[in-house]
Amino acid sequence: MRKLLKKDLPRLIEWLKTSYLLYGPTEYGFAPIADHTPELITPIRPPKGIFFPQYQVLFRYDGKVPKSKGIGLFGVRPCDAKGLLILNRIFTQGPYRDNYWQDQYQSGIIIGIGCNQPQPTCFCHWFGIGPFGKEGCDLFLTDIGDGFLIEAVSKKGEDLISSFDPLLPPTDQDLKRRDEIVARAEAQLKDGIDPKLIKERLDNLWESPIWGELAERCLSCALCTYLCPTCHCFDIQDEEKARVRIWDSCLFPLFTQEASGHNPRPEIRDRLRQRIMHKFNYLYLQYKEAGCVGCGRCVIFCPVNLDLRELMRRILDEG
Amino acid sequence: MELRSRIRELFQKGEIGSLIGYGRGTLPLSARPIFITEGGVDQLIFDITCGVNLAKYLLRKKPIAGQKVGIICKGCDGRAIIQYLTEGQLNREDVYIIGISCPGMIDPNRVREKVRGRVVTNYQMNGEEITLSGDGFQLTLPREDLLSRSCLRCRYPSPPIYDTFIGSPKDRVEIQDEYRSVAEIESLPAAERWNYFQSEFGRCIRCYACRNSCPFCYCDVCFVDQTNPQWFGKGVELTDTIIFHLVRALHTAGRCVDCGSCERACPMGIKLTLLSKRMEREVRERFDYIPGLSVEETPPMAAYREDDPQEFIQ
Amino acid sequence: MRDNPYWPIEMVVGRIKVESDDRMLRSFDLRFKDPSQRFDFLPGQFCQLSILGKGEAPFGIASSPDEKDFLRFTVNRVGVVTTALHYLKEGEVIGLRGPLGNHYPVEKFRGEDVVIIGGGFAFTTLRSLLLYLLARREEFGQITVIYGARRPGLLLYRDELFQWEGRSDLRLILTVDKEFPGWNRKVGFVPAVTKEVAPSSKKGWAVVCGPPIMIKYTLPVLSELGFPPERIYTSLERRMKCGIGKCGRCNIGPKYVCIDGPVFSLAELERLPEPY
Repeated sequence: MRKLLKKDLPRLIEWLKTSYLLYGPTEYGFAPIADHTPELITPIRPPKGIFFPQYQVLFRYDGKVPKSKGIGLFGVRPCDAKGLLILNRIFTQGPYRDNYWQDQYQSGIIIGIGCNQPQPTCFCHWFGIGPFGKEGCDLFLTDIGDGFLIEAVSKKGEDLISSFDPLLPPTDQDLKRRDEIVARAEAQLKDGIDPKLIKERLDNLWESPIWGELAERCLSCALCTYLCPTCHCFDIQDEEKARVRIWDSCLFPLFTQEASGHNPRPEIRDRLRQRIMHKFNYLYLQYKEAGCVGCGRCVIFCPVNLDLRELMRRILDEG
Repeated sequence: MELRSRIRELFQKGEIGSLIGYGRGTLPLSARPIFITEGGVDQLIFDITCGVNLAKYLLRKKPIAGQKVGIICKGCDGRAIIQYLTEGQLNREDVYIIGISCPGMIDPNRVREKVRGRVVTNYQMNGEEITLSGDGFQLTLPREDLLSRSCLRCRYPSPPIYDTFIGSPKDRVEIQDEYRSVAEIESLPAAERWNYFQSEFGRCIRCYACRNSCPFCYCDVCFVDQTNPQWFGKGVELTDTIIFHLVRALHTAGRCVDCGSCERACPMGIKLTLLSKRMEREVRERFDYIPGLSVEETPPMAAYREDDPQEFIQ
Repeated sequence: MRDNPYWPIEMVVGRIKVESDDRMLRSFDLRFKDPSQRFDFLPGQFCQLSILGKGEAPFGIASSPDEKDFLRFTVNRVGVVTTALHYLKEGEVIGLRGPLGNHYPVEKFRGEDVVIIGGGFAFTTLRSLLLYLLARREEFGQITVIYGARRPGLLLYRDELFQWEGRSDLRLILTVDKEFPGWNRKVGFVPAVTKEVAPSSKKGWAVVCGPPIMIKYTLPVLSELGFPPERIYTSLERRMKCGIGKCGRCNIGPKYVCIDGPVFSLAELERLPEPY
């Protein structure tokens, strides 16, 4: 544990930029940090698209495969860092590993930051993350007012930070301050739900009327899936010069439409159920963790207020 | 509340068998579409958070046992229904239109922009000002800063047709410069205009929340989703996203009632109605037509007239 | 393939054969352009075939694992990729990823009876399976094949079928839905014919592939004949893109057709929601 004074933040950024192509938060998403020190806000889009681009060339027909660069993500919230970890699991485990994801993720570094002020739409604690969850980070920052406490979470983080000079040892006062901040933030996240229970209830809810009721209101757009830190469905398309992959969404009717005209998920009801089952049942079955990190983006932005938290409570009541 | 008692009465008299209306959402300043029968009347609300255009849900909701589907209609919901009638999408006798005067709807994107991460728990309207308050803050802003851009230039707060009306219908509002936003962009030099479009539409993530909340995007298979032939790329290259928005504006030209649903739905805060407003002006100047006002008039894009402007083929 | 599962290997188009009288079904024999890329597979596995610039689509392997020099695929012309495949000429090069998915549990069949039931153009991997069994004929018990199509001209691999009819170590029943001039074999739907043929379920395995409606009505017949769900296998089709369990499209409940399938036992399917 070390301390970085706020005035030295630009130096840290510049120093990280010597090893990585460094991205930081902006209002709309993570973007390369140019000459400014990024404002440490939570962007509308999670950072998944930096490692898993919405549009990515798999290979050109002339045989060229694009090479990935080492990317550093600065100022990643605990929910988003965990989201990347979940994606890493999905892309690298099982009989095949996705080399495009793996190369990008492994060559990158993730510098997380704790959430001193969780939002009412945050529910990361349901998934064991919490406002100061460090899982999936290499380095972790806590804002204690006059500076940041920096913690190395992984060996990669330790190796990196150990050669950065302008760090101070934290005082007892600093640590006490940090404990207060953590306690205050954690106290704001109450009334959790156990994802294991949700998984078990969903085992029996395939035929539930819940899906039809939600489908009445759902617009079947991909806003929630595209803003989700863990949604990862994609399409592969042949363009003029290259085979590319592009994000896709299980909520789109054509997602499963077959050339014969048959569609196994023709109704919004079927597709909504797929999304919820995939996140909270199938992924849990596979990894003992749900495919949700409680970032709240889908809750905040859904144009018709389909609130996932409300749905989860409903599932617990129904099951 | 007059809204609830009147709706209950409609159920009791058998005028409607079901209703599409608004209920309270789970977030501060949010509402949601609800679909109720008589038992759900107490969930009904109507205020400045009820922006979602409900008309589109009529395409999914059919009368049950011969009983009409009731729908709460602001000006733009009602105009969308009229447009549906001219497009043969709806039977007038299946629908019971419950008019209500619209105070103008807030745009959640504009609220977010102003409160910058703080949490609004309450609001109050005082004439032309809205006060937002939450834990440890209070923010009083002019209405123009928070309302949907579409609502600020809306001439028709009440639906042109209705079966009953809650409160009294508001007259048409005189708006002087409803195409101001369009004119401002048009006045820019080409390069700046392009930069502006790039910065707006370059943010598009192709989630189609705009399209799917639009009352007039009801095609079974949208042109962007067609694969045989596939008209253009499905990624987020600027040319592809811009083509999507331009073609959508063309497909809704002469139909769009400027309800602003697309703009409010966009998570990236793209000023989408700029394009639709531009097309609206075009149709108005060329065909003297304003969509969604009359069931009798054939929309210009569906009609052929000898004197149609056609200099493009001369 | 091992380093980049999205990277197709190059295959050269060899013999092309029109299989059906409506010309919608064509078989392609594909040779490995680089013979060192040759791979082994088992009946039931599939590959992603692609024409660069047109796209990829999954097809079950119709050739026998013992036919080492080429892979055969039979393609029904329905969409963009399959149409492009139909325009291929001998000598052209196309992309292939595979072998993907699981296979029929041939190791379990050893020493026991096998009944193969096919319908329409879903006989592709069944041909592979049948050739595999026939090549090791003495290792298996009775082999019964019931194959039906709407009309004779829609039966795949007709020349071979008619040859196999003459074999004494194979019971092969061909059927069509309706009477047809010149057709002197069976007439009737596959489920009814199965009931009539009544293959023994004692120490028997059943493999069923065909249109969903055929499968739906054949499964109860097999149950009636005494086949337990653990001994009935089918191969499922779903829209696929990646073929490697990542793109999130082909799942049925928690199972991915591309990596957990395409071959499932009825016992497995009974635990999945709405598999057809």
